[in-house]
Amino acid sequence: MKRMNQTTMRRLISIGMLLILVVLFTILAGAGKGKFFNFDNLIEVVRDASIPAIIGVGVTFIIITAGIDLSTGSMMALVGMTMANIYAYTLLPFSVMMLAGILVGLLCGLCNGIIVAKFNVPEFIGTLATMSIFRALTYIIAIRDANGVIKSQPMNHSQYTWLGTGIGKFYYVIIAMIIIVAAGQITLKYTRFGTNLYSVGASKKAATLSGIDVAKTRLIAYVITGFTVAIGAIFTTARLQSATTAIGMDFEFNPIAAAVVGGVALSGGSGDVIGTLIGALFMATLENGVRKLSINTAYQYVIKGAIIIAVVIFDATYKARMDRKAREEGAKEGLE
Amino acid sequence: MAGNTLIEAKGIYKSFSGVPVLQDVHFEVKAGEVHALMGENGAGKSTLIKIITGVYTKDDGQIYWEGKPVEINSYQDCQKLGVACIYQELSVIPPLTVAQNVYLGREPRKGPFIDYAKMNQMTQELIDKYQFPLKPTTVVDNLGIGQRQLIEILKGLSQDSKLLIMDEPTASLSGKEAEMLFKIIQKLRSEGVSIIYISHRLEEVYMLSDRLTILRDGKNAAVLEKEDIIPAKVIETMIGKVVDESAGSRKMLHSDDNAEVRLDVKNLTDKTDRYRNISFQVHRGEILGLGGLIGAGRTEVVRAIYGVDKAASGEVWLDGKKLNPSPKASILEGIGFVPEDRRNQGFIPLLSTTKNVALTNYDIVKINGTSISDADELAMSKRAIEAIDIRPSDPNKQVGVMSGGNQQKVVLGKWLMRDLKLLIVDEPTAGIDVGAKDEIYSILEDLAKQGVAVIVVTSDLQELLRVSHRIIVMRKGDIVKEFKNVEVTQSKVLSAGQGVEEEAE
Amino acid sequence: MMKNFNWSKYSKPIILVVFIVVLSILRPKAFLSLDNFSNVLWSVAVIGIMVSGSIFVFLIGGIDLSIATLCAFSAVVVVSVTHMLGDTPVAVIAGVLAALVVGALAGAIHGIIITTFKIPAFLVTFATQSIFLGLAMVFTNNKIVSCTVPAFTAIGAFKILGFPLPVYFMVIIALISWYILRKTVYGRYVYAVGGNPTASEISGINVKLASIVCYVLSGLTTALGGIVLASMTQQASSSTGAGYTNDVITAAVIGGVSLLGGEGTVPGAIFGAVLMGLLNNGLNLMSVPSTHAGLVKGLVIVVAVAFDAMQHADQSRKKVKKVKKASA
Repeated sequence: MKRMNQTTMRRLISIGMLLILVVLFTILAGAGKGKFFNFDNLIEVVRDASIPAIIGVGVTFIIITAGIDLSTGSMMALVGMTMANIYAYTLLPFSVMMLAGILVGLLCGLCNGIIVAKFNVPEFIGTLATMSIFRALTYIIAIRDANGVIKSQPMNHSQYTWLGTGIGKFYYVIIAMIIIVAAGQITLKYTRFGTNLYSVGASKKAATLSGIDVAKTRLIAYVITGFTVAIGAIFTTARLQSATTAIGMDFEFNPIAAAVVGGVALSGGSGDVIGTLIGALFMATLENGVRKLSINTAYQYVIKGAIIIAVVIFDATYKARMDRKAREEGAKEGLE
Repeated sequence: MAGNTLIEAKGIYKSFSGVPVLQDVHFEVKAGEVHALMGENGAGKSTLIKIITGVYTKDDGQIYWEGKPVEINSYQDCQKLGVACIYQELSVIPPLTVAQNVYLGREPRKGPFIDYAKMNQMTQELIDKYQFPLKPTTVVDNLGIGQRQLIEILKGLSQDSKLLIMDEPTASLSGKEAEMLFKIIQKLRSEGVSIIYISHRLEEVYMLSDRLTILRDGKNAAVLEKEDIIPAKVIETMIGKVVDESAGSRKMLHSDDNAEVRLDVKNLTDKTDRYRNISFQVHRGEILGLGGLIGAGRTEVVRAIYGVDKAASGEVWLDGKKLNPSPKASILEGIGFVPEDRRNQGFIPLLSTTKNVALTNYDIVKINGTSISDADELAMSKRAIEAIDIRPSDPNKQVGVMSGGNQQKVVLGKWLMRDLKLLIVDEPTAGIDVGAKDEIYSILEDLAKQGVAVIVVTSDLQELLRVSHRIIVMRKGDIVKEFKNVEVTQSKVLSAGQGVEEEAE
Repeated sequence: MMKNFNWSKYSKPIILVVFIVVLSILRPKAFLSLDNFSNVLWSVAVIGIMVSGSIFVFLIGGIDLSIATLCAFSAVVVVSVTHMLGDTPVAVIAGVLAALVVGALAGAIHGIIITTFKIPAFLVTFATQSIFLGLAMVFTNNKIVSCTVPAFTAIGAFKILGFPLPVYFMVIIALISWYILRKTVYGRYVYAVGGNPTASEISGINVKLASIVCYVLSGLTTALGGIVLASMTQQASSSTGAGYTNDVITAAVIGGVSLLGGEGTVPGAIFGAVLMGLLNNGLNLMSVPSTHAGLVKGLVIVVAVAFDAMQHADQSRKKVKKVKKASA
């Protein structure tokens, strides 16, 4: 009696969703130069998916522990603005600037982790609060012109902006994404920490009984997210060749949406980074296709929200059904 | 088969806030034996186990492991010795594989990475050795409860445990799953692993165990060798010959069959087979005791009568009217229900006595237009407080901070404010002190005198005999025995619940 | 124990007085002026109106992250419908009704999805937040739409006895909310469901229906908040109401409403709204730009909720001890 397990099934569903979307847009928006389906455009899609996917690695870790992070967008802005300050006011090398950015990301993640794991503030409230805190801090340290008006800070030195390019069409951000996603997947599947994340998400009680430090595991997941956000901020500012206070506005939605579409259950304990990558590709394809069809971009917000709800409802009903089935069959199989 | 003494607890004393729970208990398990531990609820079984596993600290006494005195102050201590406890509340992690669960937190590593090949192989070796029907790479999500329990056992074995403690392991297993577990227990014994087997189910104990320790009221009642484990004798020992003949333990049941039938349950059958073809009646003014072991299906039956859960088929009639049970409909028809899990199902901890008492009674509280009359609501709660002496008597006191007995009185109190036809109480005095117990019994008796039909579900035999006019006993989802107008003893009820043939008296 | 009790009883007036005194000392002229007084009132009114409805959701242990964008969407609806029907007073009434219907529908959708599929409220409202934002953008073509019809602007600006109309709205809505929660059977059920849904079910309460109604009420007041905001600013866009999700949640939390459900009162929430209004105003007077205010508000939420969570943990620990003792 061979039955496909839930995880494999769910992976096939998200891949199927992605493929259907690609086919759909190919039919609607066409193939060939300047249209939807061609190498250049598809590489653009992958490039657009890269930053949600990179940050999605951290967010996936958090969601696997049954947590959430609503502050990634603001955190990205804060990291960007920190680097802009170093760029504008110091002569420090770019490597130091980026390290400082990473440090800020780690600290922001640590803050979230402490609020959530040590003070037991519900995740969505705690990170909703830090979302507004990080954004306010961004404004506070924003670069201003002579009249005190906030301005966008150019960061267009070629020693920095090269990060926004690539080897031909192979953008560095895509390469970074591949490395980080691979590292994330390996961490998740092949280290004790990864196993601990699943355990904490599935049952905090059982994890504690097995000697796992639940608070520490959750905290580290938030710190890792801080790191991935910092990497995302570096590539974003390098591509924009500037930093503004508006970076990452409403961005927090994207990695969470990617994770949800990719089969990372918000109830914790399941899903993986590859799923989130597929989800990020799905969301990027959606955005790109809607653009190509010259539909009002505002519809994207509606479609994205509706897709999340649809996927979550599907997962909730599907999981309930599969669990029941598994239990029944498990009970039968046990005896042979 | 059995060898030297593996673990021995000598002269164990333990009391909680002055109340002795264990007194001079002696408990010994030999290497390679299945040693059962039995006793009525409150006999001290779980306290003893918690002392052995380091959850509680003993007041006095000494534990020896392989002859040497040891101190066990935490679960980690007992794990280090080689004791593993198979939790009733399973601690397996569903999204991980069997092997990942077995070695959780102790994964073999190669550099920073988990060495899956080695881990799976180690798990496979264990599985082969004990012949478990499992595969190392199966994700636990896909397994039934029985197999999940086996993973817990494997986890213990992987730590080279010499002693496994199983507390009511068959409580949530299907019949076939339980059989699989029994085979494995026998296999483990043949491999030299000792097992402490705690169960209410005599047939399992009878079949599996080499020796049996019986506790009664926190003291050793007996240690029986295999050949002495005879059901009737075990029951007698658990209840105590002397006790059984004393006043509280036998009772002449009287019920009036001519009284008008209030509740008539016909062929009630569960969707998931936890009970089937349940038919019985309760008469006006009668207290019907519903006895049997935990898990016999009693709670499920009364929940279906009240309508919290729906039965698959069957009918419930009250005063000659067929009901379509749902909590709201039941309340309006005059049925009251006191659920077994008081804290989670019985009351709203944050709310006051007044609001808890009034919660089911807004159809009778005075309401001006849409506005509840606070005065009338308060008057109702004062009536309840007065009628059954709820303390503290402040009607605005949060129920969550009261003692268990008074919380239960609040739960009961709200039903006393209505014209009841039927009251169902499930384990009405669990975790309640003796004084409050008596008060609750007299409340139930008063209700019966007023003509209310009462169903009492209880695992406390003394309580069952104390309050019932008539007793029916359930076992594995069926009604197996009715005691009516006969003299009944605790042993008789227990034997019926256990499925043991009572010898002629 | 005693110390705690007194603090929780008198903390609110004390905080309020301290706040007013500090602002009066720091910015005596600006803060104590009549103009400023009505500024504070406007700010308080909008938050007060919204929190009077959202409190129902918080009381059953839910949350609504879509407050800000639902606010924007309903603001856009009232302005667009008014325009479409020719900017007459009747059109204004139709617009207001349309916006309220949108709010109620949005709430009903939240409630139905959350209770039927047992999906966490924060996730559902997180997704609908995006939907409402998109709809607001679609309706306005991503521009600011203005509306200067007198009948419409009067909603926000008309004064009776020196107080702007929104203040009366707030008072009326708060009174209705207070009445429902304090005096009606449904109000009792809301607290029961938030305190223990299982026990509520057994007590014959239709938990699902009661919860859906809570979300509908929250949607209604959010829509009204949007209408008032649009009227006050004489315009609507997808960013109308930005930041109000946090303001409303913060007002509730500092007003003693527990986000874990079952605890909180309308007067408490209104107190929170007043404090938020003063906080917004104070930061403004201290020349702290609105963009920086999030720092203070965020910290307030974290501290308040962490405090709440710690107290709850404390209580349950005590309870566990008690239970252990009792069962032993």
